[in-house]
Amino acid sequence: MAEPITPLKTVGHPTPRIDAVDRVTGRATYSRDVTLPGMLYARVLRSPHPHARIRRIDTTKAAALSGVKAIVTHENCTVVWGAGGIAGGRQYVDEVKAITKQRRYAFNNPVRFVGDPVAAVAAVDRHVAEEALQRIVVDYEMLPFVLDHEEALTPDAPKIWPEGNLSLDVENQAKPLAQRRGNVDEALGRAAHVFEDRYSTQFVHNAQMEPRACVAAWEGDKLTVYTPTGGIANCRHDIARDLGLPDEKVRVVCRYMGGNFGNKNQNQDSDLIAASLAKLAGAPVKLEFSRKEDFIGMHGRWPTTQYYTVGVADDGTVDAIRLRAVSGMGPYRKNSGGMAGLDLYGCGNAEGIIQPAYTNKTVSGNFRGPEFPQGYFGIQSMMDDVAYRMKMDPVEFVLKNMARTAPGNAPFTNFTLEECIRRGAELFDWKRRWHPQPGSDPGPLKRGAGMAFMEFRSGIGQSSAVITLNGKGQYTLFVGVTDVGGGAKTTMGLIAAEELGVPLSKVEVVWGDTDRCPYSVGESGSRTTIMTGYAVIEAARDLKRQIAANGSPAGEQVVIASATPNPTMEGRKVRNAFGAHFVEVEVDVELGHVRVAKYLSVADCGRLINPLSAKGQMAGGAIQGIGMTLHEDLIYDQRTGQPLTAGFYYDRIPTHRDAPEIEVLFVESDDGYGAYGAKSLGESGKAPGPAAIANAIFNATGHRFKDLPITRAKILGALA
Amino acid sequence: MAKPTDDHEISRRELLEGAGATLAAVATVSALEAQPAAAQSVTTNDTVPRTTIRVAVNGMRHRIEVEDRWTLAELLRDRLGLTGTKLGCERGECGACTVLLDGTPVYSCSHLAVWADGRSVQTVEGLARDGRLDPLQQTFAEHDAPQCGFCTSGQLMSARALLNANPHPTADDVRAAMAGNLCRCSNYNRYVEAILAAAASPRSRG
Repeated sequence: MAEPITPLKTVGHPTPRIDAVDRVTGRATYSRDVTLPGMLYARVLRSPHPHARIRRIDTTKAAALSGVKAIVTHENCTVVWGAGGIAGGRQYVDEVKAITKQRRYAFNNPVRFVGDPVAAVAAVDRHVAEEALQRIVVDYEMLPFVLDHEEALTPDAPKIWPEGNLSLDVENQAKPLAQRRGNVDEALGRAAHVFEDRYSTQFVHNAQMEPRACVAAWEGDKLTVYTPTGGIANCRHDIARDLGLPDEKVRVVCRYMGGNFGNKNQNQDSDLIAASLAKLAGAPVKLEFSRKEDFIGMHGRWPTTQYYTVGVADDGTVDAIRLRAVSGMGPYRKNSGGMAGLDLYGCGNAEGIIQPAYTNKTVSGNFRGPEFPQGYFGIQSMMDDVAYRMKMDPVEFVLKNMARTAPGNAPFTNFTLEECIRRGAELFDWKRRWHPQPGSDPGPLKRGAGMAFMEFRSGIGQSSAVITLNGKGQYTLFVGVTDVGGGAKTTMGLIAAEELGVPLSKVEVVWGDTDRCPYSVGESGSRTTIMTGYAVIEAARDLKRQIAANGSPAGEQVVIASATPNPTMEGRKVRNAFGAHFVEVEVDVELGHVRVAKYLSVADCGRLINPLSAKGQMAGGAIQGIGMTLHEDLIYDQRTGQPLTAGFYYDRIPTHRDAPEIEVLFVESDDGYGAYGAKSLGESGKAPGPAAIANAIFNATGHRFKDLPITRAKILGALA
Repeated sequence: MAKPTDDHEISRRELLEGAGATLAAVATVSALEAQPAAAQSVTTNDTVPRTTIRVAVNGMRHRIEVEDRWTLAELLRDRLGLTGTKLGCERGECGACTVLLDGTPVYSCSHLAVWADGRSVQTVEGLARDGRLDPLQQTFAEHDAPQCGFCTSGQLMSARALLNANPHPTADDVRAAMAGNLCRCSNYNRYVEAILAAAASPRSRG
């Protein structure tokens, strides 16, 4: 059982955001809202072909257009976008950029996907820039292309890079991601039951509401970039490295950001292109992406194909899991391509071999729990099916087989998963909603229930904070956060107020500007509350120590306190958030329509700093999971390599009418780490969703849908 | 030869004025088919048609010369500095740019500025009166409805139009009226709660 947490004075109480009024009055300033004197507008010309060599680019007609101020192409802009590819999931390591054989430039030749930037124009307004793009003449030599990630690894597939289509890792090795424990072959050999199956997941775009926009301005040799980023410090370092500048010569500002959802804790090509154009034109430049450009030019969740072999004893104990998988990275490896799931089960014999493959589709990258929802869908659909075949209740099967320690028998800081599952099953009324015989409702509206669970990484680590107190008694907290939606600046303010023992209103929070704020880890990996929160606590303690030693400041005096703690775990301990989702669906077997009738998300994310925002995070994650499970998909025309569903409408992200009420039950705990025991939260709310919904659809229909998304067409095709 | 890959083949004005068939044709034009560069008539800033319009924005009357190709969103954001209206897609899919035109919610990205001639526009900046927040703004803040906040202005304007027409909606009424306002943070539950709370507030007709 989770120990009851000790209530705190400021932390843990539902609190509206400190900038809520700015958000509801239109005063919140996003990157595209920034306008500078003499500013130009820029647009990007993109490849219409999935794979082609540029023989020649003629920009003379575009340059001749009145109002055009600068044009960049691969010929006059050779900036390498370090974070854009060939990262193996370690994009902040400068040495990787230096050694990699597979560089991604801001403008590439050959172009490797529909949407690869070919040229960019800065002009007096966006209409002139758009017209100039039409006057650029590009002579392409078509190259053969490959779209499917499994086909890409066959011997006859067109090679996207000279080294082949198995992505190189950070050491230039074409090696798959491999994970092993125990002896899988032996365990499968002795297993009483062996099950095999194949699951697949689709490309799902982050599709944050704010399309990419960036304003770049040079003052002498100093560059200021207003850009949407969840990590101003890392974004600045990336821009500086890619442009060959010292970090201090780059300032990154992000006051507000219209959604992150992954891979925004670094720079983007738009930052480099805008900076290059601004330098060339000698004027500030605002670069805007259209929604379609954002869809094909940014990134989304990597599609996967997953083959499982599972060995089970007569009593339902899982003894062996083998995973062979391929993930589709697009032509540049922006992130790892990994899949989570094997660590969910306690069985001593497991092996996963995942091949990240290049394709000529748009680039894959991190999206809310990068390895989780798709990996969990595969393995937890597989295990739900094993439970069915072993004639076991899925909840009992999970309680029997879930991992109670981390791999290598490393202990968790605390373990609340069983409590999450038991309390969830009771609140959800699992026994009543789950059908022992799948598909047994008479129809046409068939109900069924499914569940899935999570163990989500919740590490600790280094970040910084500065707090000042002036002679008027005003506290100012400087933190390098943006608040991409999770409420970071309010969270940081609450933590400071708690530790200082003052009301939140006494703490002014300064954020979103590298010239004013110290390093923060960036709002990715669900770690700002933990890591930057730690730093805020330590800075507050430093301030209190100084005041205790020297007294409070008077008149024009200011006391300055700062901290850059780098906490570590005790021994081999592993820290995780835990949770389970319980879903009831109603499937109309005549129309193929799935309605989520009941959705319960249970989670131990440690202590909640702001329960108001925490609940919204969990509900939002669940609804994103519904979109991924039932309809979102970036579909390609196989003949031409063109993306057909780029945009909100055709991709079908959830709307108000798709969103059921999400019940959220937090099982709060304090394991002694994090800021007051806070664990990771933001990403975890989505992780088990697709598996839970898919399992509910199986329970309702008796048919196992193994390929996401589970569209009406697939349901009708299977059940008609 | 140039083969523009985006929607740039067609001007904004043609796109907005085009019938559904035009839109469908644009969507299916394969970029592999030869497209002569600059097939459209190209106008520069010097020759672009302009029209002087009269428009009231948040109660303030303007007489202003606009380029015929400007959208209403461009007029509001770039010319009048009202950047509270957000552009999420510029093709009528997401609702972030929703404003009220003579009280009716419209997507300002899909409406030309010249069409606002003689009409009255309300944006998010015009919701608060005399320094007092609209009840919707109040409940949106209290219920933590904005996560990233980018869709919020549009959600507010659609919700204002709903409550003007139907002061006491059900949750289903709200979802139906708000179906054109996407929220990728998916804080839909909170938006519905906040709108119902505003409807229940004594100042709801404010």
